[in-house]
Amino acid sequence: MQVRKPYLLLGSVALWILMGRLLQGKNTLQIATYENTPFTSFVGDRALELRGNRTESPAFIYIFNPIRGAIDGFVQLIRNLIAVPAPNSVIPIIGWLGVVGLIAFAVFATSQWRTALLSTSLLLACGALGMWQYTMDSIAMTLAAVLLSLAVGIPLGIWAGLSDRVLKILTPLLDLAQILPTLVYMAPIALIFMIGAASATIATMIYSIPICIRITSHAIRTLNQSPIEASESMGSTQKQTLTKVQIPMAKQMIVLGINQTVMAAVSFVVVAALIGAPGLGKPVIEALIIRNVGQGFVAGFAVVFLAILMDRSTSAAAKRQTSFIPPTAREIKRKRIILIGTGLLAAASVFISRTVLWAAIWPREIDISPQVARLANNATAWILDNLYIFTVGFKDLISYSILNPLEVQLSASPWYVTVAMIVALALIIGGLRTAILALVLAMAIVVSGLWYEAMLTLTQTIVGCFLTMIIGIALGIWTGRSDKAERVLRPFLDAGQTLPAFVYLVPMLGLFGPTRFTAIATGIVYAIPVVVKLVCEGIRAVPHSLIEAATAAGSSTRQIITKVQLPAAKKTILLATNQGLIYVLAVVVIGGFVGAGGLGYLVIVGNSKPELQGKGLIAGAAILLLGVIFDRIMQAGARRSA
Amino acid sequence: MRELRKTRFSMVFQHFGLLPHRNVIDNIAYSLEINGVKKAERHARANEVIELVGLQGFSNAYPEQLSGGMQQRVGLARALAVDPQVLFLDEPFSALDPLIRRDMQQEVIRLHHELGKTMVFITHDLSEAVKVGDRIAIMRDGAIVQIGTPEDLVAHPADEYVANFVRDIAKSHVLTLRYLARAPKAGEATDGPELSADMIIRDACSLIIADHRPIRVSDNGKALGVVSSDDVLRIISGVA
Repeated sequence: MQVRKPYLLLGSVALWILMGRLLQGKNTLQIATYENTPFTSFVGDRALELRGNRTESPAFIYIFNPIRGAIDGFVQLIRNLIAVPAPNSVIPIIGWLGVVGLIAFAVFATSQWRTALLSTSLLLACGALGMWQYTMDSIAMTLAAVLLSLAVGIPLGIWAGLSDRVLKILTPLLDLAQILPTLVYMAPIALIFMIGAASATIATMIYSIPICIRITSHAIRTLNQSPIEASESMGSTQKQTLTKVQIPMAKQMIVLGINQTVMAAVSFVVVAALIGAPGLGKPVIEALIIRNVGQGFVAGFAVVFLAILMDRSTSAAAKRQTSFIPPTAREIKRKRIILIGTGLLAAASVFISRTVLWAAIWPREIDISPQVARLANNATAWILDNLYIFTVGFKDLISYSILNPLEVQLSASPWYVTVAMIVALALIIGGLRTAILALVLAMAIVVSGLWYEAMLTLTQTIVGCFLTMIIGIALGIWTGRSDKAERVLRPFLDAGQTLPAFVYLVPMLGLFGPTRFTAIATGIVYAIPVVVKLVCEGIRAVPHSLIEAATAAGSSTRQIITKVQLPAAKKTILLATNQGLIYVLAVVVIGGFVGAGGLGYLVIVGNSKPELQGKGLIAGAAILLLGVIFDRIMQAGARRSA
Repeated sequence: MRELRKTRFSMVFQHFGLLPHRNVIDNIAYSLEINGVKKAERHARANEVIELVGLQGFSNAYPEQLSGGMQQRVGLARALAVDPQVLFLDEPFSALDPLIRRDMQQEVIRLHHELGKTMVFITHDLSEAVKVGDRIAIMRDGAIVQIGTPEDLVAHPADEYVANFVRDIAKSHVLTLRYLARAPKAGEATDGPELSADMIIRDACSLIIADHRPIRVSDNGKALGVVSSDDVLRIISGVA
């Protein structure tokens, strides 16, 4: 007779806890942060060797160095234009007034005057926060990464849209690039391309290109097929059909993809400050490192403003235009007159910004950052004083109820007990193949010497994912059942997904201090939107007839939710859990340097301390292994439940 | 194949397949454009066919501004622009409403007479086939079951399938008097008006009603027999 899965799972968990308790403190593989294992120092030596090879090895001389040079040059070109003094000059080619004028003009030309006004105010606000140059650097970095992403992504996307084979090859790569935690690939890229703008641009591209490729190929694939068929019936060559029919028809949607690509790049450019991206990420990191919440808020606001600015100014151009009819001659003429007028204004502002100093460099006197920082500090202090129960209470509740026990269980048990548990989990949920994979990957972590840190990270990820799922499923059910709730929550979810995860660390640091809880809370905030959206979709996809039948049978609302909607949406909810876990993991490791410790901390330490570089690189790989183990187990579970 | 498609034949599609981002004249000129015809020349040719299909004044409109019928006129014009030898129409009017459909059928018949092009018209609607077709091929499972004039199909269906297919066709609209002509019965008047054997039964009705005598049917002066009003009634009611 077969024992049912839930009992098997419960049984193995109980056994794991029992064994962990009995053998507590033995074989935990804990080593000090600054201690290297033979393996980590071996990798560190290889990394040093690689660095030494930069001027000798042909791979560097003929491939990597030229790429780095070209991208660095490209970024520098754009930075000289708006951000940093141009060669042989003390000011950028275009001063702040010129930049404001140009951006206002560009937004006005593609959108309405209201959006232009909003963009202008956001830019000026960034300046007023004392962040002008950082903001310009971020814009320059974003621009460079986006232009390169589009140059690579649109042709690839079109190709993937036309050829099933290309799509099949690209899809797993794109999936990987999108779920890969940021920290994992930053260090290897920096190792090859050095810390600096080139590495940051390449890392950003890895993150933003998948979106561009996906949307472009989707645009090509979902076109109305009948004009294409007609074109072919007339004897068009493939190229003619592509350039005269498919691309013109898909153009609007491809432009829509540009907006998404820009948003991905903006959010990544901030994090990329960890590997030397100039821009707003720098002050955020500095503030986080010195635990200065007020300064963090100042830079964080600038990041948020920049994100809104980028979104508003590119989404207008991407607004889904339903008609192909061009405006009439009269409308064109009117628009042209207005554009020439405003264009002249913009040109004048550029000219002034090149001739007068106050218009070239943001005036030092206009800086409200001290006031904003003080305000933010006061507000945080007030919350800490008066809402003590909610912040510290919540933190303690979670810490004592699940966080601490789980951390003890995971990190203080012998490694083989936990490895056995993971393999058992994989076997019960996913089957033999998943179990073998889990065993191999878990053993790789053990061998790497970073098992203890991996367990700390795993603890935080599991707790974060658990809380995310509780909140996410509740909100998901709510939005899935009520259109009104969806309308109310949708803007928050969208904003939550476009803002860089980094900036959430700032308020969390204010509320919870430099603890692992800050990292967990940030992960939760970052992961909730995607979970809510998926659960909502799953609930909405439950056939209406099922619910009608249940209602007709006299079910209460609670019965409908628990007995019809949730079971029917089980697969989607499992996938949402998987996504939640990956998202939380990606952010929890970033939280490494606000006191969360674990693998993320090692990655960041490895970035700054050459003697720990090997350890940092391995920590990055361990994050990936951890992610893959649980991704595989969950995917297998979702597949089996279908 | 591509060469053939460029010059010898062209197609008209059920869902039009117009390019949404081009106006009428550039849609029509598209097939010339891919053949490398210069802009002035292809626009001149496009204007000719625009007149042919009655789209004058719409050359700068965009497909989404046109009704379904108008869009299909563009489709027709586009197919005609390369002056093909054979025109394939793949269920061209299935997406149109019945009134516009009738207009467009007339239009195709008119174009057929004016241009004298071979047209292969694919349809699921037998009455449409009867209306526009000179010869109809009925296909089943990818093979042709019967080819013939509408009259052949209705009068002498090759098998059960074709018979089933043509059952709903009003015979009086398809068959000619030749089909009804019979030897006069005893005592029947044989001095009625004389009509040609190729006349469709429906078209003979008014004369038959006006005159009480059976009419005489003749083929080029050769008498084939008579047709009485009873015969006509029987064929219309489907009793015969």
